[in-house]
Amino acid sequence: MTSTIQPPAPAKQRAGAAPASTSARTGARVAPLFGVPAVAVVALLLYLPFLWTTYVSFTDYDGLASPVWSGLANYQAMFSDPDLVGALVNTLLWVVGMVSLPVVLGLLVAVLTYGHKWGTWLRLPFLLPYAISGVAVGVIWGFVLQPDGALGQALGFFGLPGEHTGWLQAGPGNTLMMIVAVTWQAAGVNALLFVVGLQSIPAEPLEAARLDGAEGLRLFSHHLWPQLRPITTVVIGLSIVGSLKTFDVVWVMTQGGPGTSSETLALSMYKETFVLNDYGQGSAIALFLSLVTFAASILYLRYQLGEPK
Amino acid sequence: MNKTSSGPVRTAVLVVLGLIWLTPLYLLIVNASKSVDGYDAATVWEPSGFSLFGNFAEAWDKAALGDTLVATTLYSVVSPILAVLIGAAAGYAIVVLRLRYGFLWFVVIFGGTIFPLQMVLMPLFSGYADTGLYDTRTGMIIVYTAISVPFSAFVMRNFFTGIARSVFEAAIVDGGGMFRIFRSIYLPMAGSALAAIFILQATFVWNDLLLGLTLSQSESVRPIMPALTGLQSTYGGAALPTVLAGGLLVSLPTVILFLAAQRFFSRGLALGQF
Repeated sequence: MTSTIQPPAPAKQRAGAAPASTSARTGARVAPLFGVPAVAVVALLLYLPFLWTTYVSFTDYDGLASPVWSGLANYQAMFSDPDLVGALVNTLLWVVGMVSLPVVLGLLVAVLTYGHKWGTWLRLPFLLPYAISGVAVGVIWGFVLQPDGALGQALGFFGLPGEHTGWLQAGPGNTLMMIVAVTWQAAGVNALLFVVGLQSIPAEPLEAARLDGAEGLRLFSHHLWPQLRPITTVVIGLSIVGSLKTFDVVWVMTQGGPGTSSETLALSMYKETFVLNDYGQGSAIALFLSLVTFAASILYLRYQLGEPK
Repeated sequence: MNKTSSGPVRTAVLVVLGLIWLTPLYLLIVNASKSVDGYDAATVWEPSGFSLFGNFAEAWDKAALGDTLVATTLYSVVSPILAVLIGAAAGYAIVVLRLRYGFLWFVVIFGGTIFPLQMVLMPLFSGYADTGLYDTRTGMIIVYTAISVPFSAFVMRNFFTGIARSVFEAAIVDGGGMFRIFRSIYLPMAGSALAAIFILQATFVWNDLLLGLTLSQSESVRPIMPALTGLQSTYGGAALPTVLAGGLLVSLPTVILFLAAQRFFSRGLALGQF
């Protein structure tokens, strides 16, 4: 995915090019001045903290006394402490949930609305939740999922089981219901991305395929789907990265509870650090999340940076 | 693409799915409009009464949303503007001025976004506490700016790459200094890209919970999303309509912005948001 602006026209050497190239050299000389603010702000507020967190993750540190080197102890705890293992499993659930539900629904909405007479309007209901914050999504769905609340009453009305279920009161059900809540928020943006992908497919081969009698599912699986692969990679990459960071909705709906049954690693990181003052443990979780995020990012950054498709 | 079938099945599936998607919003609006006394947990599907503005006022008082709104608006406007300018300057340096090792600079700047916020929270908290930036509006503006710079630089680099080299050469022949060329030729040309970045980053800042939760505590500094979670936990079970009204209230600005600027959002996505 690169910008849609035309490629630069080849630079023409003008008659008066001599002064121009001198000035262009001046340009190269003052260039760092324009680049320094961005690098400074990123270095000071993102890279420096990054390095400190990395170091602290190998120490025992409560934020007051000096950090004491503890090797891999924090990492071992992450894979042996039952609460943290639970958070790891929940985070995996989030990843699996987010690369399936909102991606499939987003694709469905994109394909169904693309080229539809009222496509823009029919897409709108899915896009509205995207403009709403994670916190507000948590407030809304916390309300919908109250025991005997909106969902329970609806199930009861239709005579379906589950009327009195406490949706958020036990794992892993609470995590699954929160995945549903975030699906509600995220499907629209995936649809929008898929629409961008559909727009980039040349129309003529599709027309030809249609004239050959390809329709519906066959048109989709033989002609559309293969061309949607790059954008699908981006959507899935973004979904993985997003799901690893899951915090807001869980913080609002369950605070990770009851107990730690719906904690995600992002939430554990926050609790370990700012509630339990175990900075070392919190940092180890953060670094672990970063490594996984980084691996997932490589999946789609290639496309984002516009390198060869 | 040419005319495709807008067949009845296709339309029906979309309408049904769309209605399901609107249902939570229906429930939000209906129940945020009920008076606190008239709210009955057993009849959440039926509308009754209209006390939406009373509930807004109640949420406003309880969560001190007034102060919070001023602060959040400040962050959502100032930080994206700063980030857009800083990012544009970097893009200009790399693409137009042909900064030496430009791609390396770019990778360094853009690399700031690829790890999750969790990675920087603790040091920011400690660093802010040590430097007196903790729980200050300045501190919040600085951190939101820093978070927004990489994406801004990314988009602006892409944008400037699309501008013909001859524009720069002509500007030099006309005798402009590097700063003047940036300010009066490249920035104005980038209007739509700047607006797209601004809108996306303003939405991000407005919707942020984690940084606000970590780096602020007083009512006059704390952004709106942490304030809303505070409202939810203090309400003790009775005033659900108040909480919902609060949720609706804080969502209105971003939803309106989104509807007004939808094409910028899709454009931002096309440019590779996040």
